[in-house]
Amino acid sequence: MQIQVKCNCGEQNCPEWAIVELQGVIEPQPAFQDRLQNLEIGQLCRASSQTYTFTVGYHELTGSKVPLKKPLLVLKKIRHADEEKVELEVIGIIRQRILFKTRPKALISSKFNLILP
Amino acid sequence: MEMVAEQPKSAFRGAEAVLNLPPTSSVSIAYHSLFGPHDDLILLELYEKLLPYVLHHRVTLRGQPDEDAVLCTMSKTYTVKFVGTSNSVLLIPPSDQLVLGGNTQDCDEKDRVKKLVAPVIKVAPGVMELVEVAPRIDRLKMLLSENPYRSDDALMSEELDEMGKNNTRFYSWSDLIDRNYMDGILNMLLHNLVLNDWSLNGLNEIEVVGVLQSDGFPCEIAQHCLQVYGSKTDDGVWKLDEKQIPEGMQASYDMLEGEVLTEKIGIETWVYAFDVSSLPSAPEERFSMLFRERPKWEWKDLQPYIRDLSAPGLSSEGLLLKYTRRTQPTPDAEPVFSAR
Repeated sequence: MQIQVKCNCGEQNCPEWAIVELQGVIEPQPAFQDRLQNLEIGQLCRASSQTYTFTVGYHELTGSKVPLKKPLLVLKKIRHADEEKVELEVIGIIRQRILFKTRPKALISSKFNLILP
Repeated sequence: MEMVAEQPKSAFRGAEAVLNLPPTSSVSIAYHSLFGPHDDLILLELYEKLLPYVLHHRVTLRGQPDEDAVLCTMSKTYTVKFVGTSNSVLLIPPSDQLVLGGNTQDCDEKDRVKKLVAPVIKVAPGVMELVEVAPRIDRLKMLLSENPYRSDDALMSEELDEMGKNNTRFYSWSDLIDRNYMDGILNMLLHNLVLNDWSLNGLNEIEVVGVLQSDGFPCEIAQHCLQVYGSKTDDGVWKLDEKQIPEGMQASYDMLEGEVLTEKIGIETWVYAFDVSSLPSAPEERFSMLFRERPKWEWKDLQPYIRDLSAPGLSSEGLLLKYTRRTQPTPDAEPVFSAR
């Protein structure tokens, strides 16, 4: 079985996606479990040129923008209805992430809780 | 369903809002209007040097449903493995990402312009990683052996019969048989010459054609081979014309490297077939088979059977170091390789 990897963007024009990465799981309060769409998770703030903060509920995380050692491609699996064929299309590239590795600082209560590992 | 939403390409939304966030500014991170599992979205970690190949459609993914997939470029093969993470990896598309479809949030024009929002389309469970490996030739060999050249031979002989019947000669033999094929037969002839200790100048036509037929060549083509590369010296006897034989091909014992092994039994030297192409292509299995055949090897015998091996990051010395034990009885003696 062979899957062709396609790309319609061309080398210079691959749209860049972003990643915000933090430890643990974001859990909405039970009332909001089923209607997450468009719900705000938190505020990402660039405190200085090197430091970022991410406030989720009553937790504040501190992190930085880190370039990825190896770029990530965002691929979309396309399954054609009429044929058995599956294709993978490159729809984006990721070269950096905003990474939060520290223990959060507790602030005041809000809609969200942060469940830490 | 995809909707092309009319929105200004602004830095106020999406990945750009995050990546270009100026100091002392903030952006709201929210779930996308189409947030979901999106199992059809995959993250693939790539070596930077592979990027141009992928972006120019030079890359495929191959594999059976029950095996690990491999990613192939023209010259290299990589296994693809999913590596999970316990972190929350929030994936944020660029603002003009229309492939996902959907519309903007419901909010006032005023709010939409003022409010910086970066929507999260998916929380990625992990990433696909690549590890370079030697290409999986064994599978290819297995597939090829399922359908050997037999059918072509049958077709060929049908064509021959037809031509004979109609007594027409639209094509000459040289047109019908391509160069590589002729080289192949010549090679086989020379191999057999050495193996059977035939004389270059006194080849017995019946014997030569017989042996070539048992190697799978049609009788007419074997005879044609003699005609092309040799000349008849007597009834049924041929001499090979050295000038006809392509440069580089000679009937010498070295040709049989990697195809036969010799063994001294008493005062006699016996030759038996041991073909490298029938051995596994993965280093560990290859060495295992070799040491099963013979517990101890001298370098000159071993070399033809391992020179085609490739393992990423390992030279032939590295392979020897990894899979064999080297002993040398005296400083002057030939080193001997055995299993680890």
